[in-house]
Amino acid sequence: MSQASGAGPLIQVENITRVFHVGGEEVRALRGVSFGINRGEWVAIIGQSGSGKSTMMNVLGCLDTPSSGRYMLNGKDVSRMSDDELAVIRNVEIGFIFQTFQLLPKETALANVELPLVYRGVSAKERRARATAALEKVQLAHRMHHRPNELSGGQRQRVAIARALVSEPSMLLADEPTGNLDSATGEEIVRLFEQLHKAGHTLVLVTHEPKLAARCPRAIRLSDGEIVADGDGRTVAMGTASDVLNAGGA
Amino acid sequence: MRAFLDNLRLALGTFLGNPLRSLLTLLGIVIGVATVITMMGLIEGLRVKVNNDLGRMGAHTFQVTKWPAGGFGRINWAKFAKRKDFEMPDSRAIEESCPSVGTVVPTDDEGGQKLATASSETRPSVRVFGTPANYPLVSGVSVQAGRYFNEVEALDGRYVVLLGTDVSDALFPGMNPVGHEVRIKGRPFRVIGLLQKRGSMLGMFSLDNQVMIPLSVFHQLYGKKRSLDISVQAKSPELFSKAQDEVASLMRRRRDVPANMPNDFELHTNESVTASFNQLSQVITIAGVGVCLLSLVVGGIGILNIMLVSVMERTREIGVRKALGARKRRILGQFATEAVLLSLMGGALGLGLGFGLVFLGNWMMGFPMQVPPWAVGLALFMSCGVGLLFGIYPAARAAKLDPVEAMRAD
Repeated sequence: MSQASGAGPLIQVENITRVFHVGGEEVRALRGVSFGINRGEWVAIIGQSGSGKSTMMNVLGCLDTPSSGRYMLNGKDVSRMSDDELAVIRNVEIGFIFQTFQLLPKETALANVELPLVYRGVSAKERRARATAALEKVQLAHRMHHRPNELSGGQRQRVAIARALVSEPSMLLADEPTGNLDSATGEEIVRLFEQLHKAGHTLVLVTHEPKLAARCPRAIRLSDGEIVADGDGRTVAMGTASDVLNAGGA
Repeated sequence: MRAFLDNLRLALGTFLGNPLRSLLTLLGIVIGVATVITMMGLIEGLRVKVNNDLGRMGAHTFQVTKWPAGGFGRINWAKFAKRKDFEMPDSRAIEESCPSVGTVVPTDDEGGQKLATASSETRPSVRVFGTPANYPLVSGVSVQAGRYFNEVEALDGRYVVLLGTDVSDALFPGMNPVGHEVRIKGRPFRVIGLLQKRGSMLGMFSLDNQVMIPLSVFHQLYGKKRSLDISVQAKSPELFSKAQDEVASLMRRRRDVPANMPNDFELHTNESVTASFNQLSQVITIAGVGVCLLSLVVGGIGILNIMLVSVMERTREIGVRKALGARKRRILGQFATEAVLLSLMGGALGLGLGFGLVFLGNWMMGFPMQVPPWAVGLALFMSCGVGLLFGIYPAARAAKLDPVEAMRAD
């Protein structure tokens, strides 16, 4: 949809901070983070728990807004938008893939995949056609009338990926997508990501697993709310501190 | 529109997913609506019946009597007993000196009478009416078989009688009574007619448990020291109120009522009798609506409760929907639609139950119940309103949820 529009990076994050107030205390989850991601890139954001990567994921996913700094997504400044404006951005620009899948348990796979289109006001007929096509892409067309509890973990995550793809967003944002899967199934999902990357999708993957980050062409390591490494996936994932030179983007 | 249909589908799904819980929640609304339908049915039925029954007095006709008719509340009978009786000269005076008056019909009646034949007798509950020959002109009475007595029979004081259907059924079951003989107070009467069935007044006392005899004969049987009821028909509908004024001032003169005192007699029109009933039925209607509102509030609290539970249970779902791009208004709409649909279903069930009760009341107890269409509209409108009123708060809570927090809930 908007995949080919505009020049420059798809994501431009400039000096972003996010401060939480917990019981009168200030917690600085992000302390001035800057980077850019181009269209078609596959980037891992890696860090220990408490590193700020979840906060980063929420900000990138427009589920949260930064306390200061600027976040440009596909040419739009989304850092000061209202809740409802952000809802529209999430619907149009972002395809979410969550660790716990976040499928609606009472709805069929097909209805789950249709959901983003429901909130875009697409007609029922077109919704059905597009959701079916998305399920075919993840090889689940034959299971589309099943409910999540009738599907295996890997199948559920593939339904979730179909749901992320169906609205043709400018980026896919995955949060620990293999965290709840055994290693064989996890591998299946990573291969699917590789295919999507080859097909030209922009992928951002948030994880604490170095092995997963190492599969990505590029990785950004967060620690204590700051970028400590940004570069080739394997190098950053293995955690040698010498790669700090790329930090801070351009 | 599409959003509305989607919301409707979702709401229906929730209802069907949890039918027992939904039904129990709705009980308050079901009972509230059923109550209002039944009460309105009863009141409207009575009102229609009263208007029909009393409307049988005849067109542009009013009655002059000593006693007030019906009326609700305490009646000071002693005060009315002191009033002067109406007698035949009063009736003749109206006929002679009121130019707007057409027909004047004096009548008298006595309840608790027993009629007998050689082989059977009625219970002592029959009302005997003494009337002139022209009585059918001003009343709802008509003859089904035989004929009414004529001028000559009335003036001569012949012992002839017309039977109401209840009396005829008791004395001559399955037979035409015309030509047979019956006894009233031991005197033999020839049956010359059978009256048309009129049904019962307010479903309580029968209008067919009565007989008609000439007024002169009535006076022989029951004495003359009684007060007549004088039915007066105006010459035309336009002269109706003028005729009432003429009769009232004539009676005041004849009864020496001082100018500053109220009438010491009663003028009844269809309107004046029905008005007092309508007044009562209005009071009951308002009380009924009050009762209904109260139970709808109880029902509404049920809705409030179930919707709060529903929002809590589905926090995660709400989080997912918001993450995938549902705006606040959409979530609000989803849950508000659910609440309204829920209480509308309650309203519909209540309607069904109410109509069932009305049907039972009609069928088993013979109450003349009739549900006015506006009560159906009101009941549905109110249950809709209750759903909206009590559903909006839980829906607003759902809409305000933070998607990240909500998706973390279990």
